[in-house]
Amino acid sequence: MSVAQRAWPSAQLDDVARLRAIAAALPHLAYRERTLDAPFEIVWSIFGDLERGVPRFDHFVRWLRITERDGERVRLVSNGPLGIPMRFEAVLRPGWCVMRSRQAEVGMAATPEGSARTRVAHFEGSRFLGALGRWWLGRTMEGELTTLARLCEAELRSRR
Amino acid sequence: MMAAKAGDVLAMSRLMDALAPWLARICGSIALEHGDDAAQEALVQVFRDLRTLREPDALRAWARRIAVREAVRHARRARDQSARSAAPAAPLASPSSDPALAPDVRAVLARLAPEQRAILVLRDLEGLSEQEAAAQLGVAKGTVKSRLARAREAFAKRWHADEAPSRGEP
Repeated sequence: MSVAQRAWPSAQLDDVARLRAIAAALPHLAYRERTLDAPFEIVWSIFGDLERGVPRFDHFVRWLRITERDGERVRLVSNGPLGIPMRFEAVLRPGWCVMRSRQAEVGMAATPEGSARTRVAHFEGSRFLGALGRWWLGRTMEGELTTLARLCEAELRSRR
Repeated sequence: MMAAKAGDVLAMSRLMDALAPWLARICGSIALEHGDDAAQEALVQVFRDLRTLREPDALRAWARRIAVREAVRHARRARDQSARSAAPAAPLASPSSDPALAPDVRAVLARLAPEQRAILVLRDLEGLSEQEAAAQLGVAKGTVKSRLARAREAFAKRWHADEAPSRGEP
């Protein structure tokens, strides 16, 4: 058997590692990561539920509706500044969501850390934001992840 | 590719799907248990420097060069640290992520030098010519030829040495 015919070892590049690489390439984004004390299924049932989950932890999103879905490709609309709805295109699958509108970009990723914990990553940003705006956005996202952690803990308790 | 280069996150997401498993395989095969770190750094570098890439057709060769360089760097650093501390060799297998045969290949690869693993990956996994492998590694074609011969010989010798006891003849 030749070397080429054998199975080669592979490194792991999970969804959080992948989102981290995209965020590193776009300095206008605010990026945060956190480990949550809840299994992946519970975390993603909130974090990845754009219509019902996201408005519960993202302070900017009052409502969000999916208008079109074709496999992983999704179109959606949400409330925007000055009452003008924002239209997004997105890629959505378990553990991975990246979306963009004309004004903003959002990314969310989650990967299990063992059976009881989940590493999450989140970016938000706009090319119209300056350094101060990005700093402020980052602080807001920290609050969102804290809210998400609380929601996950509550969901975990309710399922026990 | 052009959209990803311009910073379109959806295009970057598609490019990520295409590149990540491939780069993970290159880094895992060269840096072994340090492959995750090497792959992460290679991926960050590829996406961060994407805008500097002039020729879209050169993407794969360029990304492969970054991955091989990062993987060899991580593997060398681990080897040097291990030699300095006189610690025993790092564990040979990482069973969680590999297909059934991978731990065997990993165990044999672990006993080769990082440079030998790199040449095996480029020639036998990636299927590059000697000329292409030389360009990727920044060495002469003759160096690739001799390094490859030594690497293949070492791999075969160690593979068969491992295989003999595992056949388990009574």
